[in-house]
Amino acid sequence: MAEDKNPFKDNLTFPQNFDPEKWIPEGEALLYGSLARYTVKNEGGLSTDRIVVNMGPQHPSTHGVFRAALTVDGETIVGLKPVVGYLHRNHDKIGERNTFLQNMPFTDRLDYFNSMANNFGYALAVEKLMNIPVAERADYIRVIMSELTRVQNHLIFIGNLLNDLGAMYTPALYAFEERELILDIFEAVSGARMMCNYFRFGGVVRDVPDDVMQKIKDLVIERLPAKTDEMDRFLTQNEVLVSRLKGVHVIDGETAIQYSMTGPVLRAAGVPYDIRRADPYSIYDRFEFDVAMRPNGDLYDNYLIRLDEIWQSLRILQQAIKQIPQGPINSQKPQYQVRVPAGEAYGRIESPKGELGFYVVSNGKPNPWRYHVRAPSFVNITALEQMCIGTKIADFVALFGVLDVVMGELDR
Amino acid sequence: MYGKGILKGLSVTWKRFWNTYIEDISWLLRGKKRYFTEEGIKHRSSKDTRGIFTIQYPEERLILPEEARYLPFLVYDEGPDGKKEQRCTSCGICAKVCPPQCIWIVRSNDPQTGRPIPEPTEFYIDADICMNCGFCAEYCPFDAIIMDHDFEIASYTRNVYNMEKLLKPASYYKSIRPENYERNDQERKAKEAAKAAKAAAAATQTN
Repeated sequence: MAEDKNPFKDNLTFPQNFDPEKWIPEGEALLYGSLARYTVKNEGGLSTDRIVVNMGPQHPSTHGVFRAALTVDGETIVGLKPVVGYLHRNHDKIGERNTFLQNMPFTDRLDYFNSMANNFGYALAVEKLMNIPVAERADYIRVIMSELTRVQNHLIFIGNLLNDLGAMYTPALYAFEERELILDIFEAVSGARMMCNYFRFGGVVRDVPDDVMQKIKDLVIERLPAKTDEMDRFLTQNEVLVSRLKGVHVIDGETAIQYSMTGPVLRAAGVPYDIRRADPYSIYDRFEFDVAMRPNGDLYDNYLIRLDEIWQSLRILQQAIKQIPQGPINSQKPQYQVRVPAGEAYGRIESPKGELGFYVVSNGKPNPWRYHVRAPSFVNITALEQMCIGTKIADFVALFGVLDVVMGELDR
Repeated sequence: MYGKGILKGLSVTWKRFWNTYIEDISWLLRGKKRYFTEEGIKHRSSKDTRGIFTIQYPEERLILPEEARYLPFLVYDEGPDGKKEQRCTSCGICAKVCPPQCIWIVRSNDPQTGRPIPEPTEFYIDADICMNCGFCAEYCPFDAIIMDHDFEIASYTRNVYNMEKLLKPASYYKSIRPENYERNDQERKAKEAAKAAKAAAAATQTN
C-alpha cells in the first residue's frame, strides 16, 4: 500500500463526530430562500409560476464546475445566485504553509490558461517585498511571455464564446491551433505547456534559446497577425453573430466600477482602465501601445475588444523582440530558500482577465504569514446577478461566457 | 447586402477545407511524406503549418523539446565494473524544496561503524502527488535528480516509485537532454579539477 510507505500515512484527518459519508451541505435552504424574494410584476393580469433552475455544477456551458441558481419567469431571468466553491483547493491557506518559492508552481494552477501571467504577479509581489532588481533581459522575457499568454487567452475566449453561442467547435479549434503553437514556445522555454513555473524572484529560470526566439519572431511578425485577421474576417461581420451579440447589454461603466470589475469587460463598458498604463509594472512604460476601449458595453463590444487587445499585444511583442538585450536572466543566485524580510507587499498585473493581485505579508520566516490572491474571475463574477436579471435565459450563457472566468481562479 | 458577412466567413472555412489537400499534393509532388515522418511532424508544428494540424498520437509523436519535464528520476553513473555509482548523497534538498512534499528519503548508516554514509538506502517519490514543477531537478547540487520525458505512466495501482524504479543510467539522461548533460558534465569536471588542484597544492605545501 502506498500509504504504508509514506511517512505522512494517508495525511487525512476529520473533525470529531464528522462522517463525510453522512454530510449534507448546509445553506441550500438559505440559497433558495433568497431567490424567492424576487417579485414579478404581472402585466395584463396573467399570472405565471416562477421556476428555480440550477445551471451547473455539471453544465456544458459553465466552463467547469460553476453553479448558478436561477429563478425564471417564462424565459426571463428574475433572480440569480452564483454558487462557487466546487473547485475549492484552499490555495491561500496552502500558500501560508509553503515557502515563498514553493508557492510559484501553485500559482500556475490558479488561472491555468495563463500560468505565465500568474507567475508574473506573484514574482512582482515578492520582489517588491525583497526589494531586489530584475535582470534586464529577464524583464523583456517576462513581457514577451505574458503578452503571448494574453494573445492565446483572447483567441480561446473568442472560440469558446462562439462555442457557447452554438457555433460548435469550428472557431474554437481554429483558435486552438494558434494556442498550440504558443504553448510549444512555453514548453521549449519552461518545460511544460500549461503549468509553466517559469519565473523566479529576480528573473526567470532559463534563457530563451536562439531557435525559440526565432520561432517567437516568426509567430509574432508573420503568423499571429495573419491569423487574427483571419479570425476577424471569419466572424466579425457574420450576421448571425452580430444579431445575437449586438445590443445585449452586459454592464455599464459606472456599475462595473461599483462592482470593482477590471479587465476587458470594464474596458468594453467605456472605461479605459488598464494597469499596464495606470500603474506601469515591470517595463511596460517603455512600450508604445493603446489601451483598447469600446463605448457601448454590449456583448458585441466585449467580443471586439478582445480582438483589439490581441492587436495591441502583438504591437508590444513586436517592440519587445526588437529591443531585447543580451545578458544575465536572473539578478540573484539560484537558491532554494529565499530570505524575505518582514513586511507586506501587493503586486498586481493586468492579467488577460483583469487585475490579478497577490498580497503577501512576511514576518521574516521562510513562509509567508499571510498570502492572498485577488483573482479577477472571482471579483468579476459578483456582477453576474446584476448583469443577468431581466435578460432571457439563452443570453445567460453568453453573458457568463463573456466574463471569461476560469474555475481554477474563481474557486482557488 | 444581408448575408455578406456569412459568405465572407464561409470563404475562410472553404479555404481551410482545401488547405489539407493542397498540402498533401504539394508534399506528394516533392516526393516527401507528410505523415509518420519527423519532417512532417516538425512542419506541422511550425509557423507555416496549414491544413490538418493534428498529430496521430500513438503512431506519431510530438517531438519533445529538451526542457520538457515530467516525473523526476535518479541518475547513476556506470562504474568501470558495471557497478551503479549513485550520484545522490541523500542531502535532502529535493525533499525540502518539493512543494507538495512527495519525496522522502531513508538515509543509511555504515553497518560496521554506525556512521551515516551518503548513499540513500531508499528513495521514494509519490508520482500521484508530484506536480512536475521541476524544483528538485533545478536545485539538486549534484545533478542526481532529473526530470524525465516519459509521460506514459498509466497503471492499475498507485504510483509510489522506489529506488529500483527511479534509478536510470547517465547514458539515458544524455539521450533525452544532450545539452544539459554536456553542461553539467563540464561543470562536474571543472569542479573535480579544481578539487584535485587544491589537493595537489595542499600536498606540496606540507612537503
